[in-house]
Amino acid sequence: MNSLIAVGAGIAVLGALGAGIGIGIATGKAVEAVARQPEADGKIMKNLILGCALAEATAIYGFVIAIMIIMFFK
Amino acid sequence: MEAVAEHIQEELNVQTVFTIPAFGGIPVAESTVVTWIIMAVLIVLAIILTRGFTTRNISKRQAAMEVIVTKLLGLVEGMVGEEGMAYVPYLTTVLLYIGISNIIGIFGFKSPTKDLNVTLALAIMSIVLVQIAGIRAKGIKGWLHSFLEPIAIVTPFNILDLITRPLSLCMRLFGNVLGAFVIMKLIEQVLPVVLPAVFSLYFDLFDGLLQAYVFVFLTSLYIKEAIE
Repeated sequence: MNSLIAVGAGIAVLGALGAGIGIGIATGKAVEAVARQPEADGKIMKNLILGCALAEATAIYGFVIAIMIIMFFK
Repeated sequence: MEAVAEHIQEELNVQTVFTIPAFGGIPVAESTVVTWIIMAVLIVLAIILTRGFTTRNISKRQAAMEVIVTKLLGLVEGMVGEEGMAYVPYLTTVLLYIGISNIIGIFGFKSPTKDLNVTLALAIMSIVLVQIAGIRAKGIKGWLHSFLEPIAIVTPFNILDLITRPLSLCMRLFGNVLGAFVIMKLIEQVLPVVLPAVFSLYFDLFDGLLQAYVFVFLTSLYIKEAIE
């Protein structure tokens, strides 16, 4: 039973995959944008942080659910 | 490993510090007490630092305080826009509170934001403020009509937004603070010297302040959207 709980928590954290890809793409595009228009880096940075925070949320949900699985099924 | 798991679990549980003997006993959680400490520090700092302000021949302290306050208000104003000036003081207060409570873990206190109830309360306050801002800007009729925009089909999603927005605000803040805390504990287990200090800079200071910024940023984004 214990090992199954661990596997379940591990699967829940797979949600981090999406966040990693998302933040990677967003950062790549932001770097491109800054290279094209260096004067707009303040605005780009602001939007990048917002986008990263939103993308990161999925990973956080996965993490919270994993913690809950471990805590409630113990 | 067992000891770490137990320690983390113990930190996750919200402990009741004492009970107010009224209305059948009101339990006061640890996060509430730490919030009081933060409030006391902020209020005392505000009183001490703003004493004896004048309009001429200002002291260095006054000049420094003016710069800090102007920068903070300007930061929030840039997010919420010209029309949302009325909400800037509240948002700045939330920014200060979340920022301090995220980094107070460094001083040995338990971060109030590690308690799901605190982040949930903050998120509900935010979404209520957003709706009030919408009502104030458009009137009750305009506010109700805003649920039908851009087309009537999306109304259920607009209503669903009322639940998902505070939920995501709350879970993001809680999850980030909790995640940083768990990771720091694990790092301390691997190597208790030097290494935690380096990672603490990122996880406690940078991430804590960034999450405070993101929380206020998203709230002001919603307000901006509501009063447009």
